[in-house]
Amino acid sequence: MKIQLIGFGNIGQGFARVLLGKAGYLKKRHGLDVKVVSISDITGTAVDKNGIDLRRALSVMQKTRKIINYPGAKKLSGLEAIEAIDADVVIEATPSSIETGEPGLSHMLAAMKNKKHVVTSNKGPLALKFKKLKETSKKNNVMFRFEASVGGAMPIINLANEMLSGDEIYAIEGILNGTTNYILSRMTKEESSFDIVLREVQELGIAEADPSYDIDGVDTASKLVILANAIMGIDATYKDVKIQGIRKITPEAIKLAKEDGYVIKLIGEVKNGNLEVAPRLVPVNHPLNVEGILNVALLRADIAGDITIVGKGAGAIETNSAILSDLISIWRNARS
Amino acid sequence: MKISLDVVLKDVPGQLVRALEPISQYGGNIISIVHLREELTGGRVPVHVTIEVDPQKLDKILRELEERDIWVSKVGEVRKKENIKVILIGHIVDTDARDTIDRINEIKGAMVADLALAMPHPEKESSARMDIEVSGPDAAKKVMARLEKIASEKKFIIIKSINAFGDIK
Repeated sequence: MKIQLIGFGNIGQGFARVLLGKAGYLKKRHGLDVKVVSISDITGTAVDKNGIDLRRALSVMQKTRKIINYPGAKKLSGLEAIEAIDADVVIEATPSSIETGEPGLSHMLAAMKNKKHVVTSNKGPLALKFKKLKETSKKNNVMFRFEASVGGAMPIINLANEMLSGDEIYAIEGILNGTTNYILSRMTKEESSFDIVLREVQELGIAEADPSYDIDGVDTASKLVILANAIMGIDATYKDVKIQGIRKITPEAIKLAKEDGYVIKLIGEVKNGNLEVAPRLVPVNHPLNVEGILNVALLRADIAGDITIVGKGAGAIETNSAILSDLISIWRNARS
Repeated sequence: MKISLDVVLKDVPGQLVRALEPISQYGGNIISIVHLREELTGGRVPVHVTIEVDPQKLDKILRELEERDIWVSKVGEVRKKENIKVILIGHIVDTDARDTIDRINEIKGAMVADLALAMPHPEKESSARMDIEVSGPDAAKKVMARLEKIASEKKFIIIKSINAFGDIK
């Protein structure tokens, strides 16, 4: 299976690392031979139809941070690489934008129009244009998989759509952002203020320098939109989500909750057709009360009842568990 | 509908069965029976029975009990109280806490049962935990709508409980 990797940051390099470790296993267990035929970043594209030397690509990135320095790399943009180079699957892992969805959106649409399957971890394009992407993939008869876009390693979309395919999921609630969960967990444990914990968390590298994406609920809302579309068939976009972040949570509020047997968590929920992200009171013994950077989702299914799934919601390596499983699934479906 | 019945039985064997027969005959489901033997007076024992029954069958049950010479001293509907729990963050006292509570208590079937307040500093935002008793889903919906309105007027943040009563249809 020939793969094009578009975006070679955290997730893209994580994919290369995971593939280096897993190539033998994929071949033995699934009969799958993965060949990365191109890697694009903002500087250009490394191309090798016999398969790029991933170790070398990683070392080039470590030394120069630019893929254009890979031997023989071309001045091709991601979009041009998708148009020009022969491949079966495009993995889209460029940085996410919730304003425009670009450049990911154009990459995905171009890949589909060029009859290439798409696997992505990129939330923005899905949160804005899910329907268009889904329809384009159908029209071009290619597969579109995005498990990595929600909950990192936590296999929520494929669980709901494949393992629970006879159930109707009528509501979803969950903690879909590890950073906010970590901040709230620390505030609960230490009874300290939001600002202090945020500063510490930024120093630890868990929160970004500009943390608004996480703490204002933007990231959770994007994931919620993807779940509503992919699992519940709701034609919603990011603009349909009512969002409240965690900036204004006081240590006193957390204490009052705690005294009464509750914790405060940033919860995303889809219920009765409404999408909402807000801090909520969660009973301490409730399955949604998970601590630290963990993510959790509760699927309310009409036959199975409640199903809860907990896992690591982020991480360059963990997220690639989802990308890999999507690739394998494409490989299996394409063969049958 | 859940109904509580206070019946008074002769203190002789077989009376309780006679009292319960009409209930099961009309499809009533007996939830609990409390025998108040310590209140035995004039050879009669009060018994408190809670049943789940179709309201239209209730009259027939009561008539049948009367025919059997079983006194029914009290019939009442059992209403299950539900609790809404919220935390509010904002200038709760400065924006007239009394008014906030009154406006919730105005709703039929709703009452603020508890309020815990934490004020770190007079100028800083305070936090309050509020327990509101409601009589059913309608009152709960009205309370939530009223809370949202108050919150937007007074610039509070509301932290609702997950699976808040009335959330899921």
